[in-house]
Amino acid sequence: MEMISFNIVAYVTMILWLAGCLFIVFGKKGNILTISGNIMVFAGALLLIAYLVILWINLERPPLRILGETRLWYAVLLPVVGIAIYLRHGYKWFLYYSLFMASVFLVINITKPENFDKTLMPALQSPWFVPHVIVYMISYALLGASSYVAARGLYFQYYRQPKPESLKISDNIIFTGFAFLTLGLVFGALWAKEAWGHYWTWDPKETWAMLTWLSYLIYIHFRYRHPQKTTSALWIIALAFVVLLICWLGINYLSVAENSVHTYSGQ
Amino acid sequence: MTTINKKRQFWQYPWSYREGFLIAIALVIAGFAIGYVIDKEVKAITFPENLVTGGVIILLLLITHLFFRKHEFVKWIASVPAAISAISAYAFLVLLMGFIRQNPEESSEFLNRTGLSHLTSSQAFLFAQMYFLVTLGMVTLKRIIPFKTKNIGFMLNHLGLWITIAAASLGAGDIQRVSMEINDREPVFVGTDQQGNMLDDMGLAIQLIDFKMESYPPKAFIVDRESGDILNLKNVFSLEMGARGNILGWEVEVVDFIEFGVGVGDKFHKVYDVGAAPAAYVTAKKDDKKLEGWISCGSFRFPGNFLDLGGNELLVMDRPAPKSFVSEVKIYTEDEEVFETEIAVNSPVTVNGWKIYQYDYNHDMGDWSDISVIELIKDPWLPVVYTGIFMLMAGAFYMFWTGNRKKTE
Ligand code: HEM
Repeated sequence: MEMISFNIVAYVTMILWLAGCLFIVFGKKGNILTISGNIMVFAGALLLIAYLVILWINLERPPLRILGETRLWYAVLLPVVGIAIYLRHGYKWFLYYSLFMASVFLVINITKPENFDKTLMPALQSPWFVPHVIVYMISYALLGASSYVAARGLYFQYYRQPKPESLKISDNIIFTGFAFLTLGLVFGALWAKEAWGHYWTWDPKETWAMLTWLSYLIYIHFRYRHPQKTTSALWIIALAFVVLLICWLGINYLSVAENSVHTYSGQ
Repeated sequence: MTTINKKRQFWQYPWSYREGFLIAIALVIAGFAIGYVIDKEVKAITFPENLVTGGVIILLLLITHLFFRKHEFVKWIASVPAAISAISAYAFLVLLMGFIRQNPEESSEFLNRTGLSHLTSSQAFLFAQMYFLVTLGMVTLKRIIPFKTKNIGFMLNHLGLWITIAAASLGAGDIQRVSMEINDREPVFVGTDQQGNMLDDMGLAIQLIDFKMESYPPKAFIVDRESGDILNLKNVFSLEMGARGNILGWEVEVVDFIEFGVGVGDKFHKVYDVGAAPAAYVTAKKDDKKLEGWISCGSFRFPGNFLDLGGNELLVMDRPAPKSFVSEVKIYTEDEEVFETEIAVNSPVTVNGWKIYQYDYNHDMGDWSDISVIELIKDPWLPVVYTGIFMLMAGAFYMFWTGNRKKTE
């Protein structure tokens, strides 16, 4: 199967982002430099989206099965979140962060090429597959972004002037991210019922997904009750993100997960 | 907002986090200890006990809310500190589940007696869940009686979660799962439940008309002759007519491909017979070496073939992965209805309260399987669980819509 070279698309995208960011760094609000920078950042994201669409068509199945494919989604969704928040609130550093993280994912995919395999086991061929995974991807992109905000907030808390507004941003992101997380969990349950006859089996991935959900649940309630305790709140976000990372990536390495339907097979 | 009063003694009202976490820890430890002493797992209760239990819990929560809501303890149990301690206790047990293999057969006596190897049926889990449901139940009641429309999002999330968890736990004992091996010779009406009991009162009989399986093109692998390890796991090569590509430095091309074939000597012929398997005529080139020959994965009936690439490398064909499997069946019901339908993975069929799932088939025979294993599942509490789940979904949409407006004021 011949496919447009992923490497070329990835390099062009990253060059566009890098150039765009430089333009934005040196540009002033609303001047030509900034506008061209915005356009370049935008074009990079569009190029990746186009690649994803073509990949989907070529594979004849949603490109959501192997880890490399989910990294690709992350590389598409993070910039979307980043650009949206940058345009809406004007946080440049947030744009840089999201583009940087997306580039990291692209580089991993360049250095660890996985052949795109068409097979998809019958249980995964379901109308629930795409919404379930995409909703999770969006949620992870948002929650990942919030953890960056938290890390930045903690840095300022300990080494510079505390910045109370960083929690305001992460609250907004986490609320939306948590709503997506809930939907992902629920779609997964509804799908499992259709495919296997039970909506919840405490499969290792489900166990860690529940744990992730509970961690952010603690954050939401803690924030509601103690809006002033910003440092503790920032630490809860950091911890919750560690749980999320284990759920997303660590599962493949946990011995309890040997027979999980959720482990992404690299083959 | 109440701040923690430094001078306040333990257990002196108003309670806060300390008391909450102490209660949570005590419940979890007591649960494990009781489990260890009585050495029994928690058995799911069945109808009507579960319905009565659910009713009693709701009644007790209601009475507590209606008549004692001014009491300091009741105020506390519906507060965030109690909620966070309850969520944490529950999360702690889920965390254990994430690290300890949940398989009593392979676990030590200590893990089995305490329940650590089967957490969902342990006393600790039961206690933590009760604590969780009591705090969640009380805060839900606090916000919905008396009802205010601004609390609608709160109600969807909290009541929805309460209903989901309560119904899923109480209803677990009423779930029936019966697996049934059907064949194309006669209607089958006997199945086996999860405990291994034979059942014949499902009120229906099922006959297999045809088992249909579609496969993906088989993959080519280079394996190590001695260890049998696959050497090109990440580099997938699908065997299809005309396919060409590079596997570990070998230029491989498929010159001929037969979907159903049988080998005679070193040659494969197109034969459509029980047990026929895919076969491919391939050429493999590397440097100045050029090899060619038939490879096939073979089947339960006919041997396969591989291509010896020299060194330690063999070029083999993997069994094709199933794309779909479908049982075409004829169903006879108690009320003398007879109809034909198809049962496929991801599309179960509902008959007389049973949901019927495609479960398994004879893997050795694959496409030629003359049996199919289906599963019949009855879950009478499902509509209640789904009510909760749909409230949670609505609650999530509500969260998108409003964001966290309250906190940022
Ligand atoms: C679907 C899961 C949940 C969501 C989305 C959620 C969301 C929220 C939100 C947004 C608030 C702020 C209240 C407001 O803005 O009016 C809140 C309050 C609260 N929640 Fe939850 N929650 C969930 C589960 C739970 C659970 C499991 C518990 C207890 C075990 C709980 C206990 C509480 C308590 C005690 C409050 C404070 C209410 C008050 O003081 O009036 N929540 N929750």
